[in-house]
Amino acid sequence: MTEDGETQAEVAFAHPSEAAFARILDFYQVAWEYEPRTFELRWDDEGNVSEAFSPDFYLPEQDLYIELTTMEQRLITKKHRKLRRLRELYPEVNIKLLNRSDFKQMMFKYGLDEGDSLIGQ
Amino acid sequence: MDSIVSSSWPGDIGPIFLTEEQIQRRVAELGAQISQDYAGQDLVVVGVLKGVLFFMADLLRAMAIPVAVDFLAIARYGPTDETHGVVRLTKDLNETVAGRHVLFVEDIIDTGLTTNFIMRALRLHEPLSLKACAFLNRTRRRLIDIDLAYVGFDIPDFYVVGYGLDYRERYRNLPYLVVFDPDQAAEG
Repeated sequence: MTEDGETQAEVAFAHPSEAAFARILDFYQVAWEYEPRTFELRWDDEGNVSEAFSPDFYLPEQDLYIELTTMEQRLITKKHRKLRRLRELYPEVNIKLLNRSDFKQMMFKYGLDEGDSLIGQ
Repeated sequence: MDSIVSSSWPGDIGPIFLTEEQIQRRVAELGAQISQDYAGQDLVVVGVLKGVLFFMADLLRAMAIPVAVDFLAIARYGPTDETHGVVRLTKDLNETVAGRHVLFVEDIIDTGLTTNFIMRALRLHEPLSLKACAFLNRTRRRLIDIDLAYVGFDIPDFYVVGYGLDYRERYRNLPYLVVFDPDQAAEG
């Protein structure tokens, strides 16, 4: 549940895997926020933001951002680059990337066979 | 009594990750350490059913101090409507732990979600102290930091079964720990 009292059913998630992840957090009564902050990563010559990154989840009690990606490993180079940049610019920010394999393992752990359908092939 | 031999198990389990000997050696070390740390104290050892069963039985017998034993059970997250909703205890403590030292014992800590919930529930009982012990500690997907006083083994990022750990309730009774591929099992 978000700090505003929203449940996962009331948040418009970009991907069904995010809704599944939020359901697990709700089940274990872990407070979360969905894309609460956008980090500016690069700027053009005029100072306009040319690249930014909004991690999917923030767990306020853990002060931890979580980026959930279900893309295949070979396709997440850009995301890794953004995470590296974020860590350079905001070293005080704790962020964790849960990749496709992590997500599938979590689904197995919680006995959910919907892992593949949530990820997409 | 002879050990169960690996050839009697289905072929879908992988190589042995920890042998019985490796497990028992480490459990004995943990038992000795805990006995030393809690010597003369009133200790209640609490496990959460049911993966911890084998580890807890061995750990308790490796302790050289008198302890009380209790178990919790929780409804874990699962695929059905009944297992969605909110986590809850399906079995609470029988022992009174207020004012006593409590050691919470887990089979494996992965995300930390379950352990975090149980530690919060145990704190509500107002123990004199509360520490955690895990047979296996897998940190790759850790979401909630857990302060572990005792760890059997830190393990890398792969799925293991045996010695209490299951895949869909199977393989708990393997006396050692093996690597397991859930993808392959799901296909088969």
